This record gives sequence, C-alpha cells and structure tokens, in this order.
Amino acid sequence: MNRGNDRLENLLIPFELLEPRTLPEALSMLADDDTAVRPMGGGTALMLMMKAAVFTPRRLVSLRALAPALGGIALDERGALCLGGMATLSSLEHSALVKTHASVITRAMPQLSNVRVRHVATVGGALAHADPHMDLPTILTALDARVQIAGPGGSRELFVDALITGYYETALAGNELITGVAIDAVPGRKAAYIKCTTRAADDWPALGVALSLVCSGGHIETARVVIGAATDRPTRVPAAEAALAGALIEGTTLAAATLDRVRDAVASQVVYTSDAQGSGAYKRQLARVHVVRAITAALQA
Amino acid sequence: MDTKVSPDQVIDAQQVGRSVPRMEGAAKVTGRAEYIHNLRLPGVLHGKVFRSRIAHGRILSIDTSAARAVAGVHSVVTGEDIRRIIPEPYYGPAFHDQPILALDKVRYVGEPVAAVLAADPHVAEYAAGLITAEYEELPAVFNEVEAATSSVYVHDELKPAITFPDLKHLKGKRNTNVALDYKLRRGDVAAAFASAAHVFEHEFHTQHIMHTPFEPFVALAEPLDDSVTIHTSSQMPAYVRLEIARLLGWPENKVRARTAYLGGGFGAKVYVKIEPLVVALALLARRPVKMSLTMEEQFYVIGKHATTFRIKSAITADGRIAARKCEVFWNGGAYADIGPRVSQKSGFTSTGPYQIECAEIDSAEIYTNLPPAGAFRGFGIPQLVWAYESHTDIIARALKIDPLEFRRRNILHDGQEHPTGTVMRDAEFDEVLVRIAARMGWDQPFDRGTGTKRRGRGIAIGVKASIAPTTSFALVNVSADGSAVLFCNTIDMGQASNTANAQLVAEVLGIAAERVKVTQADTDVTPFDMGTLGSRSMFHMGHAVRLAAEHARTQLEALCAEGGITYSGEQSVAQGFRKKFGMQAGNIFGVGHYTSRYQAADPVTGMSKEVTPFWMIGGAGIELEVDTETGHVTILRMVNVVDAGRAINPRVVETQISGAALMQMGQTMTEEMIFTSAGELTNPSLAYYKIPGIHDIPASIENEAVEAETRNGPFGSKGVGESGTFGVSPAIANAIDDAVGVRLYSLPLTPESIYRAICAARGEPLED
Ligand SMILES: Cc1cc2nc3c(=O)[nH]c(=O)nc-3n(C[C@H](O)[C@H](O)[C@H](O)COP(=O)(O)OP(=O)(O)OC[C@H]3O[C@@H](n4cnc5c(N)ncnc54)[C@H](O)[C@@H]3O)c2cc1C
Repeated sequence: MNRGNDRLENLLIPFELLEPRTLPEALSMLADDDTAVRPMGGGTALMLMMKAAVFTPRRLVSLRALAPALGGIALDERGALCLGGMATLSSLEHSALVKTHASVITRAMPQLSNVRVRHVATVGGALAHADPHMDLPTILTALDARVQIAGPGGSRELFVDALITGYYETALAGNELITGVAIDAVPGRKAAYIKCTTRAADDWPALGVALSLVCSGGHIETARVVIGAATDRPTRVPAAEAALAGALIEGTTLAAATLDRVRDAVASQVVYTSDAQGSGAYKRQLARVHVVRAITAALQA
Repeated sequence: MDTKVSPDQVIDAQQVGRSVPRMEGAAKVTGRAEYIHNLRLPGVLHGKVFRSRIAHGRILSIDTSAARAVAGVHSVVTGEDIRRIIPEPYYGPAFHDQPILALDKVRYVGEPVAAVLAADPHVAEYAAGLITAEYEELPAVFNEVEAATSSVYVHDELKPAITFPDLKHLKGKRNTNVALDYKLRRGDVAAAFASAAHVFEHEFHTQHIMHTPFEPFVALAEPLDDSVTIHTSSQMPAYVRLEIARLLGWPENKVRARTAYLGGGFGAKVYVKIEPLVVALALLARRPVKMSLTMEEQFYVIGKHATTFRIKSAITADGRIAARKCEVFWNGGAYADIGPRVSQKSGFTSTGPYQIECAEIDSAEIYTNLPPAGAFRGFGIPQLVWAYESHTDIIARALKIDPLEFRRRNILHDGQEHPTGTVMRDAEFDEVLVRIAARMGWDQPFDRGTGTKRRGRGIAIGVKASIAPTTSFALVNVSADGSAVLFCNTIDMGQASNTANAQLVAEVLGIAAERVKVTQADTDVTPFDMGTLGSRSMFHMGHAVRLAAEHARTQLEALCAEGGITYSGEQSVAQGFRKKFGMQAGNIFGVGHYTSRYQAADPVTGMSKEVTPFWMIGGAGIELEVDTETGHVTILRMVNVVDAGRAINPRVVETQISGAALMQMGQTMTEEMIFTSAGELTNPSLAYYKIPGIHDIPASIENEAVEAETRNGPFGSKGVGESGTFGVSPAIANAIDDAVGVRLYSLPLTPESIYRAICAARGEPLED
C-alpha cells in the first residue's frame, strides 16, 4: 500500500506500509540488512521516533492483521502463561488469566503510560523497542519469561535477559519477529514491581524495580532482583539475589540484616545513569528504598 | 443559543448569579465547535519554517536552493524577501524589535529564519529541512542576572513602540539588555532597615515554562483584491488588525481578523505571534497561506518568564513588616513581546498584599538569547507570589509566629494604602485568609504522619492589579422577535466568557440568557476591544456589554411605549416591533463602551493614586505528605479561595479557580523548559515536558469565591481567570517546610530537589 499521493513521489522519502495477512508473508517482507525496514505493532514507539526524525522508514510491515492469530492470551499444556506477540497491553491489563498467573503485570499496567497507548501498544513492540525507560521488560526479566521468535529459518526462543542486549539493542535480526512470550508456572512464586516516576505520574519510569521470590516453608528459596529504566537495560543484581536466597520470611518482611545486604547490593552493584529524570546518585537512593518496598509488596502479594 | 428555552420561560428569573450551562458545551463535546485549525480554503499554501540552530549570530548566508528545487515547493521566503512588501518588518506591542523572519542576526535557537510554501504541508516541511544557513557565531547570554550587566548585547538599540508613553524614554538606548526597569521608591527604606528588629533576605528562582495550549498557534491569511482576511486563533483580534495594518501601512478597515473558538490560550495568543509572517507570505504568494505550528514548535514562540527575585524585609519587634526591598529580574528572552508590561504592571505588586510603609522595588525586563517570554496566566504574579510568600513564611517560622497570624497581622484592609500609593477598595484579603484557614481547620490539631511519611500544611496569598487603562466596546442587536445577538471581541477560549456576557445582556433586557447569542470575533463586525487577557474582560467588557444592553433597553422601552405596550421582555418587544413595522421586522442596536481609570506612575517614585480599577486576590492552602526517603510529595488536599467579587456564573467561577490552580500546580511540580549551555531546548515535546496528568490531581480540591462585591464592577463582579494561580506554588513549598523542615528556593519542586534538601539538612549531602 503506497501513500497513494503521486505528487509526493520523488520528493519525500516515500515509505511503504504493508499489511501482511500471515506470519510467513510478514517474515518475507522484512529485511535483515536494512534498518529502514521494520515491523510495526501498535506503532506507538515508531511514531514518536518518526516525529522526532530519529527513524525514517523505507518500509513498515504492520502486524495488525496478525492480531487474531498472535494476539491471544492462554495457558499452554504445562501451565505456562502465553502472551501473544500482538496482544495489546490493555488486553493484558484486563485478562483474568494474567491476573491469576502473573498478577504483578495486572497491577503494573494502569501505571504504564496511558490508556490510549495501552490500547494499541503490543507485547512484541514493548520488548523489541528496548528503550530502557520501559516497565514490561523489567517485569518479564524478573519472571524469567521466554520470548518466542520467528525468523526465515524457523523459530527460536530466548530469555528476555538474552533478548535485550543494551540501550535500544536486542538480539533480534531485522527479519525476525516476536510471536509470543511464555511465563512458566512456578509454584510459590511471589512477584512485585515498583514503578517510580519523578515527573508526572504517567511519565516513563525513572526507575523500575521488579523482583520475584520463590517461597516455600517460610523461606525464600530463590530470588530474582531486576533494576530497570535507570540502567541501559533491565539489569539483574546477583548479589541481592544471593542475599535473599534462603532468607527466613518474617510476616511480610525479612531480617533487617538481609534487607541491608539487598539494599547495599542494588546500590553498589548497579551503575545508574543520569538524565532529565534524575541524577544517578538520586536514582541509586530510589533503588535502595524501592527494593525493600518491593520485597514487602511481593511478600504481601 | 438554546432554542428549547421558550421566550417567556425565565423572564423573571435572575440571569446574573445563575450557573447557566456553557453555551458552547454541546458543540465542543460533539466535535462540532469551529476551530481555525479545521478551516480549509481552496488554493491554500502551507507554510513551514526553518529555524535557527544557534543562539546568537550574524547571518552570513542562507542557502535555500535545495528547498526551492523540491518538486511541489511554491516558494521559499527569507527576511530580505519580506522587506519587499513590508520595508520595516519588525513587530511587537512594547518594542518594535522582532523581525518577521530573522534579519541580519539570529537571537535564539528556534528563531524563524526562512519559510517554505507548498500546497502539501509535508512537502513544505521536508523542503524546510533542506535549508541551511551560515552564521558568524556571537557570544550569547542566557541568565537574566548575568544579562543585566553583560557586555553581550542581544539588541544593538532599544526600539520602543509608540503604544506605551512610559517606554518613550528608552528610544535609541544602546549597550543594554534592560528593556524596562520599573522602580518604586516609597518612604525611608534605609532608616527602616537600620532600626529593624530583624532583617531577612532571600533569593528565589522560577523556571522557563510554556503555555501548552492544546491547539497550537494557527493562522490563515487570505489576500483579497485590496485587503486581507486573517483567520487566526488569537486572544486579540483587534490588535492583530491594528498591528498588521501598521506593518503594511494600510488603513485598519482593509485588514479583517477573525477567530473561532480557541483551544486554549493562557496568554500565549495575545498581541501578534505568527500572524505577521502568515500575512507576509500570503501577500508575497498572492495565495491563501496557512500555518499550523506543531506542539514542538510552540516552545519556540512564547513562554513564561524565568525569574530571579531578591527580597529583603525589615521586621519590627512586634512582627510587622516595616520595609521591603524587592529586586526582580525577568528573563524576557530575545524579543520583548509584552514582557516589559509584565515587569512593570506586575512588578509594582512585588511587595505583596501587605501594609508596608517603606518599600523599594526594582523590576527589570532583561533581554537574553532564549525564546521570548510574555503574558502567561497570572501575568508575572505567580513568580512574584512564589518569592514573597515563601519569604513571608520563612519570616513567620523564624519569629515563631503562626504563619496565618503573621499574614493577618500585616495584611492590607480596605481603606489602607498599597505601597504603590493606591488605596485598597473591595479587596477581601483577610476574608480569603480566614476562609482558607476555616476550611483547613488551621486551629485544629494536625496529623503530622510517622516514619518516612511526614505531613505538613502551608498557606499563601497573592494580589494582582488589572492592566489599565484599557477599553472595550460592545454592540447588542435585538431582533424583531425579541431575541438578541451580542457582538463583542472577547474571545471564549474555554473560560465561558460568551455565557457570562450573554447573562449580562439577558439580565438587563429581562430575557433568558439562553435567548442571547454571542458572535465570534470578526473585526469587520465586532467592535474594538483591547484583548482577552489579564482577567480584564469580565470587568471591562462586562461594563461595555451592560451599557450596550442598557442602551438597547432604553430604545426598546420607547418602542413599546410608542405602541402602548408595557415593556416586559421578549414577548413585549416582539409586539412592539410588529406594531411599529406591521410585521416581524427591524432591529434595535445598543452600543456601549468602557475605559478603566488609571493614573500614570510618577516617574521618580513609581507611585500612583490609581494603578488599577480592581484588585484580584487569590490564596491557597495545601496539605501534603513527603516521603522522606525519596522526596516524593503527595498533595492530599488543595484549598483555593479567591475574591472574585460577585460571581456572574458561580459554576464557571469555580472551574476557573480549579483550572488555574491545577495549571500552577504543574508548573510548581514538574514543568520546566530545560536548556543546554548553548541555549538549545532539550525537551520541546509533551513527551518530555511534563504537564500534570489525571493521576497527578490532588485527591481533594476545594474552591471558593468569598462573599464579596466589586462596587465599581458590572453587577459587582470582577475578573477571576488568574486568581487561582497565585498562592499555589508557595503554599506547596511552605507545606513541605512544615512537613520536613527544608526550604526550597527554586521551582520546580522535583522529588530530587526535595530529597537533596533533606540530605543537606541532615548534613549528609547527596553527591552530584
Ligand atoms: C506517550 C507514551 C508514553 C509511554 N509511557 C510508557 C511507560 O510509562 N512505560 C512503558 O513501559 N512504556 C511507555 N511507553 C512506551 C510504550 O510502552 C511502547 O511505545 C510500546 O510498548 C511499543 O509497542 P508498539 O506495539 O506500539 O511498538 P511499535 O511502535 O510498533 O514498535 C516498537 C519497536 O518494536 C518493533 N516491533 C514491534 N512489534 C514487533 C514484533 N512483534 N517483533 C519484532 N519487533 C517488533 C518495531 O519495529 C519497533 O522497532 C510510552 C509510549 C508513549 C507513546
């Protein structure tokens, strides 16, 4: 589908907007070697980049027509929660399945951007964009989610951790698509996410702290602690995870010494970037405070 | 006009003081209201602007060849091209300092340098991106205090416009960035300080802010045989006509400026903004030309002054303010716009609403190499109140006097003289304080929170004078069926002025407000008005409308009497017309006009017996909670109380108060135009320039207009569009101090700035 405006040909760098009907068709329209060819989910991130002229497309491959096939939310046979790559963020927000199996996502959604963006933004776009100032990648890293990827040579799977490799960087090839995300069912897992903004409430996060605690018999067995937004990519904090592993749960909190170790770990093991949302030093303090609040929130969940 | 209301339905009901629903409400919510943005004209060309990327430089060359070569481009215009039709292409209400497109020099990043015309706006935009310019870069100056004494000059020479006699003495002045220096000298200030029991001195800062009307600037100029029509989203169509006529050397009646509804203005759309460029482009192209700026471009047109305010008070042993010295630096940016008026008309209230015998004010408008600053809801008052009410609170706390009591001890009452020399009249300062305190339960115990969540509360009050002298005209046309149309230039940009003015007409004629239609401004038919700004319209246009309606009523009564009919509103009028003309035919025109009284300030003392026809008063009370570990603030309760005289439409008054207060809250907490050290704006986008969203609105907001009457106002009323802004910023800072014992001197009050202050107060400053 061309822009259909003859006068514009040869003038503006024209771009194509294609709307494939099937996944193979979509894959065939992508290009591994041309960064001006990109898939488009909800288009919310792409439009901002195009308006700011940091991205000038040659071809956009809209995945809209794939939504019926790739927009579902379901449990697989092993009980993993599967989110379609084209599922919108608001469908996650209102899904009963998500609420039962990953309520941390349900709780986070109302604070993610605004209702207009959530209605069209997709799971695939939220992951592939790899803007550090986002919420979902941090949460999915804490849940150890697996990302399903389709490419010309077939499918592969990566943990979110391995998908997002840096500041706006992913392990995706230009001709690959995210088709879904799977969150395994882990008995005894409690998770929490704290989004911290420093300007308006509906701003991009200045800091995101996500954690999941696998609890059994009054102990934390294993933990994942992830810092997002204030870092180039969602960043796990192994020292904090180690401090939490084996900790005795005291009501909805932990021993003060454990909390101190966690706090010190997120403060010392992570590099916090300074930007318009705050200095690195301030974000480090936010992380210190919010990691403890996240632990309480997870234990209450 | 609601045709469902029958002619006789509300005939006896009072129209003034009734919460008549907004007349344009249904059209707006159903998407039918007219906006210039939606106007399409055949053959129109779209203009897009190429802007300067440097803050200060001499233009060596502008290369437009690549842009001209783009297929579909009609033409590319530079400042020199404009001279062909406008030899002196400089505009501005206070100074004729702003070139329609840059000439010789550029003075800020974002200044328009060239414009591209094309039938397709995307082509114009693309081509504008191909223009390049070479400059000899000059040193630039950005900070208002530095610029006041810098040897880097933004303009070679001051060029005051003739409009304001008090700027005349600045003509031809060289080697200065001070566009206007207002001075007030009252009493023996030095002696008062020498004998003071306590002296307090502080410096406060406010940041650059943008109005963010959701309808960005838009104008469409249509050249006709020997005239031009300008369809524009403007708060001042009469001035648009005047200034365009002056630039072109044409009589006023060859320029027609008309508006539709405005998608917000807040002071951004006063005087002329993009109109001179759009007109020049249309006349050069001999085609209609439309320019619709993007939200991003709006940041480069006009904003709110950043300020530095040094304030010093002498306090007596019994806690009275004996003297106050105020030094205010207004960062006016590269072009004066109406900035000099802000520094003067607001500057003279810098001492606040207090009884102060000895006062000294120096309030200076300063040119810098930043985007221009001008009128912005409050017209400079919020910047001043921020400083003097923070300062006042610090004094009260230091002297261990309750902040409410300290204010009430010093507050001005009717009959007392304001430091400018004008005697207070119909100014309910004390009542505003009393009502805030009553609503907040100021004398009740207060839950101060525990642990890391600390609560505090604060109050603040401010005052504003109206801009004077100004003039409004109105015309009421009564049809033969008794319904009426009001012709006036007051622009309804969301403040429901059409509804209020219809109520005035209806009240006088004894008909229902719903039977009065208000036209959109069109200078070919609507009579002169200075403009819709500074909360002046309810008072000035209100009088003009009242007088026009009274004039119509006198004639209608005579018409009825002639036919032996007793005047009783609409139906009697219809009978009167039928009797006289034998059928439903004819019109009665009522005209009215009003000019406010004013006495120019004494050139030496800066004092005047009559600086304003009325005083605007607004106060705020805030309860909030501070997270001591992060500096995050949650406003739990916001109380806004104003003196708006008698409300013509109580519901509208209430929404004006809350709207103004929330706008000011955003400017207090989050909004800031952030510049690099080279004067480049880093966040010209709503994505990164954060206005409050729905989740930022306080859980509880109370709004009140105190029982009051403006005796010289139409039906006891006065303006209320800005009063809700005054107290908000300092009330929040005062509440933060109350909660956690730290004082902030600069806006915005970001969580980081609060957290840093908490750390510093503990003696453990956070590293940079
Ligand atoms: C005003 C605003 C506020 C926002 N606030 C927040 C916030 O508070 N928190 C937050 O987390 N986010 C926020 N966002 C970002 C938002 O979450 C993302 O824009 C959104 O998730 C992107 O999804 P999309 O489907 O629209 O992606 P698109 O814009 O369509 O695409 C984004 C990127 O992903 C690629 N892509 C899209 N789909 C796929 C796929 N299936 N496979 C491979 N690559 C794909 C595209 O090529 C592009 O590079 C905000 C965005 C806006 C516009």
